[in-house]
Amino acid sequence: MRSPRVPEMATQEVQPNETLTHLKTESDTLKTKLEEERAKLHDVELHQVAEKVDGLGQFIMKTRRTLKGHGNKVLCMDWCKDKRRIVSSSQDGKVIVWDAFTTNKEHAVTMPCTWVMACAYAPSGCAVACGGLDNKCSVYPLSLDKNENLAAKKKSVAMHTNYLSACSFTNSDMQILTSSGDGTCALWDVESGQLLQSFHGHAADVLCLDLAPSETGNTFVSGGCDKKANVWDMRSGQCIQSFETHESDINSVRYYPSGDAFASGSDDATCRLYDLRADREVAIYSKESIIFGVSSVDFSLSGRLLFGGYNDYTINVWDVLKGTRVSILFGHENRVSTLRVSPDGTAFCTGSWDHTLRVWA
Amino acid sequence: MMSSKAQSSNNLAHARRTVQQLRIEASIERIKVSKASADLMNYCSEHARNDPLLMGIPASDNPFKDKKPCNIL
Repeated sequence: MRSPRVPEMATQEVQPNETLTHLKTESDTLKTKLEEERAKLHDVELHQVAEKVDGLGQFIMKTRRTLKGHGNKVLCMDWCKDKRRIVSSSQDGKVIVWDAFTTNKEHAVTMPCTWVMACAYAPSGCAVACGGLDNKCSVYPLSLDKNENLAAKKKSVAMHTNYLSACSFTNSDMQILTSSGDGTCALWDVESGQLLQSFHGHAADVLCLDLAPSETGNTFVSGGCDKKANVWDMRSGQCIQSFETHESDINSVRYYPSGDAFASGSDDATCRLYDLRADREVAIYSKESIIFGVSSVDFSLSGRLLFGGYNDYTINVWDVLKGTRVSILFGHENRVSTLRVSPDGTAFCTGSWDHTLRVWA
Repeated sequence: MMSSKAQSSNNLAHARRTVQQLRIEASIERIKVSKASADLMNYCSEHARNDPLLMGIPASDNPFKDKKPCNIL
């Protein structure tokens, strides 16, 4: 029995090129309309509105802890909600859990792959997730028994068709969001390993993601090698907003604490701020003297400061509202690859290709 | 090698998705940058005093700034 013909298919076979041209025209018209709509509301610059805000004074931030123990480049780190534990992952395949107050190592796991590019702490503090060149995201429950072999309890959750670039638990230990070199993001159920939703739209590797603050609802932002930052609806899998102003790969994205904006860091040596309700870029954080890429960004608790880790080994601290740099921090002896502010905002941690992590305050 | 029919149907599917995506993006409601900026500034000022890295808190209140612990013999 012949399968029913879909009417569109009939049109396709008869005049495929005409339909394609029509779609291309509509696509161009929509793009122009988008730009016009955005431009209509561009009545002022953020830094102009911020002129009336007091300037920031001098900042004295120093390395307060150095975490040594990785045998190769540190690629990723995350804080535990208890504000003192940190998980970090490295090119040598090791994932270490540290007590940042004492600098003691509490757990160590050796992954079966090198380049563990992503790691995350579970909200409960009872597990960590990690992955990289193995194309997977695995969850390791943390045992109170220091002698227990963590690798034995490992649970494979996510499977991509290329490297895992980032992972994050949602607001519970039950779901994980991942991004991959395969160009997609995905939401997984930890217990069953089931794929709950996938997110298609990036035209190249997705390098980073960040979940919106829980009060703002079910969205997340991702950044990729296609120079785009996309905002997604987690339930429908739909891309709801897309921003393409960077001139190179976007290595890091982070929501502003109110959830109304997000910052990005790129290989084009700039950080940028995008406001979601204005639907446009509202600030660029750059200097002629800064020519190396930004690997990671994060906000201080109030959103006034933006910390950026750079490939020139430094950390630049920016006044988010005025757009000026307020501090430059030295200490790492190689690229800063990862940077996160602690949950209570008392410090931030950086990881570097110099094999160490530093806690700054 | 894809047949030219399969190739053109791929291009068509991709073009259709692009148009659908653009329709969604074009239809969202937007606010003026002046309003968005004011809101960002308000959030910063409301939360500034609770931002330790911004305010700089004394060593006694910051666990990372504490002095070396004393050993009680």
